[in-house]
Amino acid sequence: MTFEQARDYLLQKARAMGIDAEVLATHSRELTVQAHGGKVEEITQATQGGVGVRVVVEGKTGYAYTEERTPEALDWVLAEAHENALLQSEVGGFLPVGGELGRHDLLGEGLSAPLEHKRQAALDVESGLRADPRMRQVQMTRYSENETQAALGSTQGVSGAYRNGYGALMAYAVMGEGGSLKQSFELDISKEFHSLDPGRTAQEFIQKTGRLLGARPLKTGRYKAYFEPKAFGQLLAVMGMFMLSAKNVLEGKSLLSGRIGQQIASEIFTLVDDPTLKGGLASRPFDAEGTAAKRTVLIENGVLQTFAHNSETARKMGVENTGHASRSYKGVLGIAPTNLFVQPGEGVKMDNGIVVTDMMGLHAGANPISGEFSLQALGLKLEGGETAYPVENFTVAGNFLELLSQISALGTELEWHPMMGIVGSPMVEVAELSFAGA
Amino acid sequence: MLAETLVGDVLQRARAGGADYAELYVERWRRRALRVLSDEVKEATSGIEYGAGLRLFYGTEVVYAYTNDLNPQSLLEVTETLVKLKGNAGQVDDLGRGGLDFRKAVAQGLHAPQIPFTARDKRYRLERIHEAEAGAQVGPQVKQVQTNLLEWDQEVLIATSEGTWAEDHRVRTRLYVTAIAQDESGMQTGVVGPGLSMGLELFDRYPPAEVGRQAGLQALTNLRAKPAPAGTMPVVIGNGFGGVIFHEALGHLLETTSVAKKTSVLSDKLGEKVASDCVTYIDDGTTLHGWGSQEFDDEGMATERTVLIENGVLKSYMVDKLGGMLTGYRPTGSGRRQDYTFAPTSRMRNTFIAPGHTPKEKLFEGIEYGLYAADMGGGQVRPGSGEYNFGVKEGYIIRKGRVEEPVRGAMLVGKGPDSIMKIVAVSDDLQTGAGMCGSLSGSIPTEVGQPHLLISEIVVGGQA
Repeated sequence: MTFEQARDYLLQKARAMGIDAEVLATHSRELTVQAHGGKVEEITQATQGGVGVRVVVEGKTGYAYTEERTPEALDWVLAEAHENALLQSEVGGFLPVGGELGRHDLLGEGLSAPLEHKRQAALDVESGLRADPRMRQVQMTRYSENETQAALGSTQGVSGAYRNGYGALMAYAVMGEGGSLKQSFELDISKEFHSLDPGRTAQEFIQKTGRLLGARPLKTGRYKAYFEPKAFGQLLAVMGMFMLSAKNVLEGKSLLSGRIGQQIASEIFTLVDDPTLKGGLASRPFDAEGTAAKRTVLIENGVLQTFAHNSETARKMGVENTGHASRSYKGVLGIAPTNLFVQPGEGVKMDNGIVVTDMMGLHAGANPISGEFSLQALGLKLEGGETAYPVENFTVAGNFLELLSQISALGTELEWHPMMGIVGSPMVEVAELSFAGA
Repeated sequence: MLAETLVGDVLQRARAGGADYAELYVERWRRRALRVLSDEVKEATSGIEYGAGLRLFYGTEVVYAYTNDLNPQSLLEVTETLVKLKGNAGQVDDLGRGGLDFRKAVAQGLHAPQIPFTARDKRYRLERIHEAEAGAQVGPQVKQVQTNLLEWDQEVLIATSEGTWAEDHRVRTRLYVTAIAQDESGMQTGVVGPGLSMGLELFDRYPPAEVGRQAGLQALTNLRAKPAPAGTMPVVIGNGFGGVIFHEALGHLLETTSVAKKTSVLSDKLGEKVASDCVTYIDDGTTLHGWGSQEFDDEGMATERTVLIENGVLKSYMVDKLGGMLTGYRPTGSGRRQDYTFAPTSRMRNTFIAPGHTPKEKLFEGIEYGLYAADMGGGQVRPGSGEYNFGVKEGYIIRKGRVEEPVRGAMLVGKGPDSIMKIVAVSDDLQTGAGMCGSLSGSIPTEVGQPHLLISEIVVGGQA
C-alpha cells in the first residue's frame, strides 16, 4: 500500500465506524555523505514514512501511528486510537473543519546536484578544516539532505499536501593550541545545494572555535553579558518557546500565564514568528491541522501580544488560532515555532563584560517551568571594548524573564540558526548576569 | 520477521557487489505512551515502527540504507541502490557465492516480561498511574503531577554475511513522575523515573505510590531550597542516578566512536592509570532486567560484562564491530542504535562505578563547606576536550561535615579526566537509575549507577 492509499483506507474505515479522523502521512528521503581522513567514510541513503491518525470519539481525542502499511497494521492503529480516545476524561475534542489546501512545492530543484558534487562538498569541508595548523582532530564532516512530502486529510474535509527539504554542511572537530583544546561543530543549511559553500563552513568553524583557544578560567562575579545570536537563540528556543506555547499555559506550566498585554521584556524586544517568510527554512503553507500560515507578533516592544496556538488551545482560551499546530506522524498535536526571530535593534556597543558565544547542557541546566537557568558556557572577556582573552569552565545563570527585561541593546544584523524550528537573533546585550567560575 | 532466503539474497547481492561485509537489521517495534496530568489523560498514543537497515563495509568505509518497505522487491532494490552508491554497480564478484549458512541464535528470554505487552487493559494502566499521582500529593504546595508510562515491545533480527543470525525480543517499561510544587517563591519540580527491561511487573519493583511520593518530596525540597552557591568546592554525589556524571565524564570517552579517531582524551591509554585508585567502572549488558540490557547487541553479538577501569587502571574500551576494525580491540557487544534509521556505533549499556569500602557517613566527615548532590539531572560532554556539565536535581549544603539546607539550580562543570582523578572515596551503597542517552546512533536506553562518592573539588555553577 502506498502512503496515500493508506491515508484513504484509514479515512474510509473511520467513516464506516462513524468516528472523526485526521490522517497525516509523511514520506521522506534522506542522503548523508560523511567524510573523514580524505575519504568518504559513510554514506546513508534512506526512505522513511508513516501514517499517524488522530481520532475524536464522543469528544475525546486519541492517537496512533504505523510504519507498517498492511491492512492488519492499519486496523490495529484505528482500534488503538479509538481505545486511546475513550481513555480520556476530557471532552470537547474536535477536528477543525477545513477544505482543499492544494499541493505545494517549497523545494523545487534545489537539491538536484549530482551525487559526486555532494561527496566532494563533504570532502572539501574537511580539507578546509585541516588547512589550519591548530586543527587537532576532525571527527567528521558531512553533507546531508532531506526531502519530505507531507499529506494531510480528514473526515472534516481537510485535504492538502506539500513538499519541502534542505541540504546541510556540517563540521565536527577539535582545535588545539598548547594544552588548550576546544571541540565544536558548525552547521550550515540551505534549500539550494549550490548556495552551500564548503570553504565558508570550514572558515566559520575555524574562526568561531579558534578564538576560544587558550581560554582562561573566569572569576566568579556579575558581568554585563553579550549573547551572540546562536547563544541567545539557544535560550529562546528552550525557554521562550516553552513559555509562549498555549499548550503549556493551559497545563499551568508557563510563567507567562495571565500576562497578555503586560510588559514582560525590555521595550526594545520584539519577537515574531513568520511561516510565510519567503525562502525561510521553516516556512510552510499550512500547519499540522491545515490552518493556513500567517505571521504572528508574539511580543511587541516588550509587551506580550499572544501565545502560540493550535485549534485546540485557541478554542479553550477563546482566542484566534495562530496556526502553530505541529505534529509528526508519530506524535500528538503540539505547538511549535516556524521561523522565529528577534527584531534587530540599533546596535550594540561593546564595552566591558563577557561575550557568550556558546552554551552547553541546555536540557539539564535550563528549566523552562521555573525560568531558571545555569548553563556551562564558552566566551570572551571584553575589556575596554576589546577582546582581552577567551574564558572557559564557567556557568552563566539567571532567570529568563529577568534576562528579557534587562536587555539593554540589540545588534543590527539578524543571524539564523536551526534549533527547534529556525531561530533568528541579533547580538543581545544584557545589563548584568551572574557568572560562576574559579 | 523476514524469510531466510530473502535475507540471504540481500546479503549475497551486497557481497557480490564488492562489499566485504553486509549486515541486515530488521525490527518491528510496538510502543505505547500514556501521559496523565493532574488526573487527566493528556496523551495516549500507540504505534508500530517497522523497518530495516542495511549496512555494508568496504574496508572501513560504510554505506547504510534504511527503509520501511520490506517486501522482497523493495529490499532488493534498496540493496542495488546502495551497491551503486559505491560505484560498483557492474561488478560481479565471487564473494558471497555458494549460499550463507546462518548460525541461528535466538534470545533465551533472560529479561522476558511476566506481564506481556498485550496483557491487561488500558484502565489497569490508568489506575496504577493514579496511584503515582496520589502518592505525589505530599503537601498542599504540590500543584500538579505529570505521570508518563512508556511500554516498548521490540522484536529484532540481525543477520550478517559472516553467518550471524540473531533474534532478540526486548520489552521495556518506564514510569516517569514529575511533581510540580509552587508557592509565593516560585515553581519547582521533582522527578523520579524508574525503568527496567520487563513488563508491567515494574510496578511490583517500584510501587507507583512510592515513586510519586519521592517525586513530590523532591519538589518540596527544591521549593524551600535557596539558590546554589557558586565556586569551587568538595562535592559528595549521591548514589543511583548520580552515576550520570561518569556516564558523561568518563563513559562517553571510552566508546570506540571517539577512541578510534583519537578524538577522546582517553585514546591510547589502555593499561594506564586514568582514575584514582578507588574507581572501578563497569559496563554490563547482561544485568538481569537492566534498563540497558539486551541479549544481543544491535550487530548480533551476545552482550557481556565489560570491566572498563579497575582500581583506576584503564582495562577496556566499549567496542563495536567497526570500532574493533579501526582500533584492533576486541568487540565487546556494545554496538547499539536507536532503531533501524541509525547505523550502530559503540554505546553504553548498564554502566556503573563498583562499590567501594568507605561507609557513606565517612564521606561527609572533614568537609568544612561543600555540596551534597543527592540526585542528578542530565548532562553533556565534549569528548575531545573532556568538558562536561550536568545539573543537580536535588542538592544540599555540607557544613562542618553535616548535610544542611537544600539548594537548587546548581550545575557541576569540569573536565572528565581531572574529575575522575579527584574521586577520593567511594561508598558501598551501589544503586542504579534509568536514562536515555543521545549520541551518533540516536537515543537509546542506558542505565547509570554508582554508590555515594566524594570528589575533592569541582566547579559548582549557581547564582553568585
